[in-house]
Amino acid sequence: MQIDLRKPEFVMKLNRLGSFHQSKLSFLRSFIREFKDWDFETKEISLDEMGFGHCVYVVKNASKQYSLVCFSNHLDDNERSDRVIATKWDASFVLFDGIPSTEDIQRLKDNVPLQEQGRVTEKELCLSRANKSVRVFEHVVDQLSQGKQPDTKILYDVGYLYRTTAVYGSGKFGLADRIKVQDREELKGPFRLEMMLVFLARQFTFDMVNHVAYQRSPKSAVMLDDNIARNLGIGNSTGLGMAPFIVNHPALLNQWIHSREKALQAIRKLPEVTKDELEIFHSYLLTIQENIQFWKTDSEYQIKKNTELSEDLIQFKKYLSKTSLEKFFWNSLYLWVEENTQPECCELIVSLLMEVYPDLVEPLSYEMSIDEEDYFDIDTSRTIGDICNLIENNYGWLIDINFETKDNIYNFWYYSKNKQEPRMSDRFNEEGAELELPLAIARDINLLYKQLKNHDPMEHLSKYLQKSQEYRHVLRRIFICEKLPYSEIQDNTISRSLIPVDMLRLKLSFFGATRFDPRSDRWVRITMYQGAPLMKEISLSDDTWSYKKIA
Amino acid sequence: MHSLYEIETTVKRVTKHQGLSWGIAEEAGKIVRILEQSELPGLESFNRLINTPYSECTKSIDLQINNQKQLCPIHFGLFFLDQSHHFENQNQFHINSIQEPLLIIPFLIKAAQKNLITFNFSSNEINFTITPGKVVSFDKKNIPPQANNIIFDISNQRQKQYSDETWNYLYQLSLETFVEESEEKKLSGAGAGLTDND
Repeated sequence: MQIDLRKPEFVMKLNRLGSFHQSKLSFLRSFIREFKDWDFETKEISLDEMGFGHCVYVVKNASKQYSLVCFSNHLDDNERSDRVIATKWDASFVLFDGIPSTEDIQRLKDNVPLQEQGRVTEKELCLSRANKSVRVFEHVVDQLSQGKQPDTKILYDVGYLYRTTAVYGSGKFGLADRIKVQDREELKGPFRLEMMLVFLARQFTFDMVNHVAYQRSPKSAVMLDDNIARNLGIGNSTGLGMAPFIVNHPALLNQWIHSREKALQAIRKLPEVTKDELEIFHSYLLTIQENIQFWKTDSEYQIKKNTELSEDLIQFKKYLSKTSLEKFFWNSLYLWVEENTQPECCELIVSLLMEVYPDLVEPLSYEMSIDEEDYFDIDTSRTIGDICNLIENNYGWLIDINFETKDNIYNFWYYSKNKQEPRMSDRFNEEGAELELPLAIARDINLLYKQLKNHDPMEHLSKYLQKSQEYRHVLRRIFICEKLPYSEIQDNTISRSLIPVDMLRLKLSFFGATRFDPRSDRWVRITMYQGAPLMKEISLSDDTWSYKKIA
Repeated sequence: MHSLYEIETTVKRVTKHQGLSWGIAEEAGKIVRILEQSELPGLESFNRLINTPYSECTKSIDLQINNQKQLCPIHFGLFFLDQSHHFENQNQFHINSIQEPLLIIPFLIKAAQKNLITFNFSSNEINFTITPGKVVSFDKKNIPPQANNIIFDISNQRQKQYSDETWNYLYQLSLETFVEESEEKKLSGAGAGLTDND
């Protein structure tokens, strides 16, 4: 049976991309699969009675070591902010390449808590910071110090003890460039180091509450129960800074989406489905339906999506109960879901299908990186007619957008001088549009197309470039999209109707985040590693932890 | 020291700040990154360029005009990166001066490899040849802020770099790895039958 990949014009719409869920291809899960046979150890806990000081965790095998150095500092309540404009945090982290010396730790102590204002070196791989969820942290410490376990209702409503507010890597603030580590076998998947940092930071949060509870009352304190700890992840609060990444890295975005689409296609192509496989699917479906109740959000946008998801899942179960295991069962099931449910439900089912076939899906996680340099150059020997055809075939959706209409050019993206992070503003009421970042892809390709249409189609692109270099940045993308069709978001990223949270959700779903909780249309809180094995039990992981019941 | 990422993004933004397009800015960031990664002073070169002042640099490259002055190396390099597929056989251009010639090198390397051509750059201050091969050499300690009286040759004809004596000697030595064949082997060694008329 001929079953094609889903078309880019279907997949690459933001309302669908913004409905993606974590899956077997998510980076935190592939991190655990890759590193489960490494040794994880707590090397040093140097904290005072209030929990201030530093800790070191090491991940190693016979030939390689990585260390997470964590710093815990006092923070007044009025200084605690998740906004990226904050300058102080409860905790800060740096992933070190190897084992840090005493001198390294002193140097890092002077710099890492400062984050963007400090400097790190090429010995360091990733940088991050986190704030306590004060209410949960205090409750847990208070209960443990009294010899009691915390109230899981309070815990699971939040889902974590600390939340990170940024994770930096790849050369930022003096960190090692990606080129330093890109050939290491264990780092072949995207964001492996960032995932390592977050996994180890989660362990730090558990050690922290145990330490402070003990210091508060050494005689009565108990340790946080492993079953409770396992159901806590680490939070993350993310704003617009993350959104341009998926526009600025088209080749990489293609790899992520293409791998996911290949997984779905391979599953839909399976002619036979066994009862056992269907049973596995059923069990994941049941668990996810129960876990959705822990997906708390005050966002009207997400509440609406979650309500639709719950309703769609009810309809889906009715459909499922009436079906029998006919040939190409998964394909029929998928087509029903695509036809009858919203993207939020449809993409959840895609993720669930992947759970049934680890052997088909997991190898694809090694196809999710790419050498972007290979796609940087422009083939100037191509004709103008060729380029117009490429635009018509791959960017047809933008040709008819009227970019003279105010709503279609309402926003502009810029780089904040204060925090060196991308931001978005109203072009017509705020200053700075002259410093707009090159993220208005739809508008610029539209304008390029109009220009090219006035040229001789047989003329070489090189001739056009002799006269104008204004759209060189999007010409590059047109060639990328020719080879890598899932490289472009097929929506106008400067339109008034843009929901930037969809862009964040796309990236975060590939990270493996759950419990998306938009706090506005521009920032979101999520949870990572909730339900994941603890550091001491990582070797036992069978990669089914994402669909364990939370409580 | 700063990471290559920081260098690339900073150069990209500064290039944009000079009024160039984002596409050119991306190229500029990339070439300075390549130079720094190759332990060549690309960032210093770039800094001098924008303080020329940059507005005085000639950005329009026109090969029909001989002896253009104070050419911008980014535009010069980009020109040859974009246009090199047009060149056939031998081309020679005379240029009065180019600012910061170091910055043109990564562009020319890409153009040479992509189009299998050779660039020969001769000037009062610095000479270098860039070929489709991987090796480029010049005096790192003698990188001038400006190159004057330039003769710039482009060729798609590979030049022989050795004598016939050297070739003959080496070729004869290479034959020593071959096996002398008997008459019988000549008949059977290639796998053919005694008669091929079947």
